[in-house]
Amino acid sequence: MVRVLRSLLFLGALVTAGASVAQDVGERADLVGGADISLIAVSGYESWTDGLVGKLRFSDDGVYLGRAFVDFDGRLTDTLKASFAVEAYGDDLGNAVDLTEAFLEWRPVPRSANRYRVKVGAFYPRISLENVESGWTNPYLQNSSAINTWVGEELRAFGTELSWSRKPPSLDGRQEFGINAAVFWGNDPAGSLLAWKGWSIHDRQSRFSDKLPLPPLPQIQPGGVFEEQDPYVEPFREIDDSAGYYVNLEWRIANRLLIRAMTYNNEADPTAHDSGQYAWYTEFEHIGLQATLPGGVGLIAQWMDGSTVMGPNLGGGIHPVDVEYDSYFALLTKQWGSHRVSARYDNFGMTQNDSTREDNNPESGHGWTVGYRYQMTDGFALRVEWLSIKTHRCAHVYYRLDPTVTEEQAQLTLQLRF
Amino acid sequence: MPIGLYEKLRRAILAGLLGAQVLACAFAGTLEVTVLDPADEPVPDVAVYVSYASGGPKTMPGTAVMDQKDTRFVPHMLVVQKGTSVEFPNSDVVAHHVYSFSKPNNFALALYKGDPHDPITFQHDGIVTLGCNIHDHMLAYIVVVDSDAYGKTGKDGRVAIDLDDTAKDATLHIWSPRIRDKKVSRAVSAASQAVTFTLEKKLRPAHDPGEEVLQWSEY
Repeated sequence: MVRVLRSLLFLGALVTAGASVAQDVGERADLVGGADISLIAVSGYESWTDGLVGKLRFSDDGVYLGRAFVDFDGRLTDTLKASFAVEAYGDDLGNAVDLTEAFLEWRPVPRSANRYRVKVGAFYPRISLENVESGWTNPYLQNSSAINTWVGEELRAFGTELSWSRKPPSLDGRQEFGINAAVFWGNDPAGSLLAWKGWSIHDRQSRFSDKLPLPPLPQIQPGGVFEEQDPYVEPFREIDDSAGYYVNLEWRIANRLLIRAMTYNNEADPTAHDSGQYAWYTEFEHIGLQATLPGGVGLIAQWMDGSTVMGPNLGGGIHPVDVEYDSYFALLTKQWGSHRVSARYDNFGMTQNDSTREDNNPESGHGWTVGYRYQMTDGFALRVEWLSIKTHRCAHVYYRLDPTVTEEQAQLTLQLRF
Repeated sequence: MPIGLYEKLRRAILAGLLGAQVLACAFAGTLEVTVLDPADEPVPDVAVYVSYASGGPKTMPGTAVMDQKDTRFVPHMLVVQKGTSVEFPNSDVVAHHVYSFSKPNNFALALYKGDPHDPITFQHDGIVTLGCNIHDHMLAYIVVVDSDAYGKTGKDGRVAIDLDDTAKDATLHIWSPRIRDKKVSRAVSAASQAVTFTLEKKLRPAHDPGEEVLQWSEY
């Protein structure tokens, strides 16, 4: 209850601040604020947010302020936009209020069928096809897929993204090809949480200075191989002073089909560490697909396959933590006026190449999520959602838990937007 | 012998009637144009216009509106006479930044909400492709024609064009972003009361065929 009251206090402050800013922003800015308040019924292990390995965000039944946020787009000039998003959470994983994104974007007026864009700042890599509403929220389901949950947990580019796209007039402008290439810093510990905690399904995004708890792994305890590791991860820290990159290709046919494919590599030096945080060499390939099926049914599918390693090369290219991970999901959604029904199947897995004792990270699992959203007014929506995740993870035995577990969550959520 | 007032009046009325009749003859030709796809299905939203080898339009260009609603241009295609002034009101709550790079009709309207901008007068014929620099998916066309005989096919694939039959060597043109045929014009005369274009090549899919295609959000 204290948590709820404290959360509502944050919300009140945010709404007041947001409303007073909204008075002044006028024509050249768009400001969206909001809050999600959820009634949660949950079964499963204690949540990773409370320091264990549960894949859901909440450990106990209750009423929670899932988020309060402000998403601001200000046009400094006709072609230069400043954006930031602020999230307030009632948990103890960071400041009460903190940024999730902050960047400048330059969009020169196209002089031909070619379009150029430049982004500078801290922003999400172009991966999620689910988190497309203000504040990186998900219009289809409250809890994002395993892939996009991880993107929200550990990925953020602090750097520059250059984009080129072209709508060839010979193809009626219906088809569009694009490339986004980014160079970034400050995402070196990314991979820690994924390897040591595993995949998750929830709706929490990490803010810039959040400290995300790690499960109490034997090897990060005093005397363990990684005893220098803090009991938490600061995923956006710069450890080795070297840049990472991603390149994303996109092909779009009007509103019918979108395909994107990315290669990502944070190019971190896996031997580097700095005051309690290690750099993890993390790379993956990603493919995303969004299509309109007959009957106005929407399909979103994403697939990710990658690896993350930490520590020195022990020979044969094997590192003390050496993990390969993959996940895919397919989501179907259908809207009837102000009603929307969506369902998603997630599949995720992890294997390891190392044989470090008491650092057993493989897992496999899948999840089902079904949700309904009723958009009553522009500012008010009601959501009902149920999700179930079945996991097998050997490391559960370190915490005297059954390696195989089914975790379930039912929730009723009020979404307020202003 | 000077004519009387009655005779003057009679002649004036006759001349007037005669003149009116000649004028009526000059604009009497109505051309029924039908556009069909290779399967003989009607093709809606095709721009249809007539050009003349000699003699330009006799009607002054007017005004037209290209609206923006639900982050879409409405209509998706506008056919206007050269010299027409087109307004671009924004009926959305979000700002738009409308532009066209179609030279020589290229322009940009600084970021706006509501209707703060003067209309754009299109002084050159040709296809003007419109976009919004904020919402990349927004796309529309303005077909600027050097003619006052033009229209757009309806759902039945038909449109009636008023033809100036005093002009010689008239050519009928059709245009749509969906059409892939090379031959999109043919000679017509006042005697051609009905013309059917049957396209040889399959059409490209419609850009926005309605509710069947989802409006995906973008972050």
